[in-house]
Amino acid sequence: MRVTYAQALGDAMKEEMRRDDKIIIYGEDVAQHGGIFGVTRGIYDEFGPGRIRNAPISETAIVGSAVGAAMTGLRPCVELMYADFMLVAFNELFHCCGKWRYIHGPEYKLPLVVRCAMGYSFGAGPEHSNCFESLFMHAPGLTIISPSSVYDAKGLLKSAIRSDNPVLFFEHKQLYKVRADIPNEEYTVPIGEAKVVREGTDVTIIAVSLMVTRALEAAENLGKQGISAEVIDPRTLVPFDWETVRRSVRKTHRVVIVEESNLRNGIGAELAAVIQEELFDELDGPVKRVAALDVPLPYNLTLEAYAIPSTETVVNAVKTLF
Amino acid sequence: MEYSKELLRDLYEKLLQIRMSEEKLVEIYALGKVPGHIHCGVGEEAPYAGTFAAAKEGDWFKVTHRPVSATRLAGVSFRRIYAEILGKEAGTSGARGGVNHICELDKGLMGTAGSLGCDMAVSVGAGISAQYLGDGRIVYTYYGDGTSSRGTLHESLNLAAVWKLPVLFVCTDNQYAISTHESETIPVENPGADRASAYNIPARVVDGTDVLAVYEAAKELTDYVREGNGPAILETKCYRWRGHFEGDQAKYRDEKVAQEMREKCCVRNLEKYMLDHQIMAKEEMDDVEAGVEAELLDALEFAEAAPEPRVEDIFQNLYVE
Repeated sequence: MRVTYAQALGDAMKEEMRRDDKIIIYGEDVAQHGGIFGVTRGIYDEFGPGRIRNAPISETAIVGSAVGAAMTGLRPCVELMYADFMLVAFNELFHCCGKWRYIHGPEYKLPLVVRCAMGYSFGAGPEHSNCFESLFMHAPGLTIISPSSVYDAKGLLKSAIRSDNPVLFFEHKQLYKVRADIPNEEYTVPIGEAKVVREGTDVTIIAVSLMVTRALEAAENLGKQGISAEVIDPRTLVPFDWETVRRSVRKTHRVVIVEESNLRNGIGAELAAVIQEELFDELDGPVKRVAALDVPLPYNLTLEAYAIPSTETVVNAVKTLF
Repeated sequence: MEYSKELLRDLYEKLLQIRMSEEKLVEIYALGKVPGHIHCGVGEEAPYAGTFAAAKEGDWFKVTHRPVSATRLAGVSFRRIYAEILGKEAGTSGARGGVNHICELDKGLMGTAGSLGCDMAVSVGAGISAQYLGDGRIVYTYYGDGTSSRGTLHESLNLAAVWKLPVLFVCTDNQYAISTHESETIPVENPGADRASAYNIPARVVDGTDVLAVYEAAKELTDYVREGNGPAILETKCYRWRGHFEGDQAKYRDEKVAQEMREKCCVRNLEKYMLDHQIMAKEEMDDVEAGVEAELLDALEFAEAAPEPRVEDIFQNLYVE
């Protein structure tokens, strides 16, 4: 069937809700309205107010109560609307979600998913555009998922809902309308497995979420210039699939990491550090990072586009390694 | 009001479990046996004893850092509590959480947050489960006058009220947030109850040194909450007898006032009631006390002898399979 990324996410929730009546959904404007990005559209009509509810503008209480509901028998899948609003519930995400599972032992399960929409979207401005995976990668105990394709969005959300660990699920706003053919039959995508989205031999480009698209465009362009780029989408940032990256780096000996969040202390900083520690002898050059400029993302469209990695900046970063 | 001897004995034992354990913690902290901090809750036993006595088996409880010995009232053994406090593998969290994070889900005891008030929303989540599952459980969630200034409490009360969740909010007003008297930071006389009208929910204020008054109000509000009417607030007026944590000399307050407040002792109050009404003789009360003391000594001995967690297990349980 041909569906959008947003529909695929909605279908994932509906399928799981039909399978397990312990799954409930709440968040701001998610019920009758179907969410401001339309992801939960149709769920209220099928499942009614007992299973999906509009919450007050109370991100702290949304996340905190999801932790409490998860430890007492339900499997909440809550929506925070914008990833930016996660900071309102930072304590609940970093401490309660991240740590309580660990400190309270194996019988203490926290089957909850916090979904949010992230990424720049043409003038959303500095407080409605952030990609925050790297902030939460610092917190032990969380599972962090950032799908870049329609297929992965559905399969990973289903796995996230079935997980007994707390999951932060980052959806990209510009991907919501992307359409693709996905299987009619049910499937899941395992948490913690990266995907080689394009095979190549000369350089490994690790790209996250929307940046996978940029990386693929860059790879096409580089191919015309005689550089064969392999593109890896980690899909899950924590736990991270190091084996797929190691295998690729041993083949290509060059690495470029592309992300949409700020450069400083970003995803690329962590990945580059681990790659140089573990695979130093395999590298033919420094691990390059391509990320947003270290400024609050401006509202102005020209400035916004300038701050975010483009296909061209990815191409240029790769070429410095040759 | 007539009370059965069984109920009064139970209330007395609950008061002593907290009182004597809190005193024991002060004693062993002074001996250097506790790795963390002890926030002694002597003087604040009745709000817990009275509400736990009004609860049913299966109810959820979210307690606080003061008094941690209240976790015993949920049915957690002192052995497990003391092993946790002394940093041992046999503790409720295998000493990964420690004194401020005593938790045992199968006893209905939810976790406690390190940042005060963040767990208020967590307890509201148990209310979502109870309402959805329709299992007749309710949630008792405790907080202090200091925490009443946290925004997360507002969000939690608001959500619980608008969704009519079965949660009884129990505010223990002990007057102090570390060194700061509530008059400096809280614009209302009753930090719990005076806020209830903002959520259109009922509230009661009772003398937190009178366990029978706490029990009566807790019973009334428990019935209200269990019948599906939504949340309520029970505020109990107490006094923190000691400093914020052990080592705090509490020089910021008038010792004369503190001494007067200590005269209003919930344990002595109940003893006097039982003697006056010829419900329990001194000897019977001594027996209850001896029983609690024996359990505490056993727990301490157990915890001291218990093994430390192993460093090779440090990554265990970061994720469940």
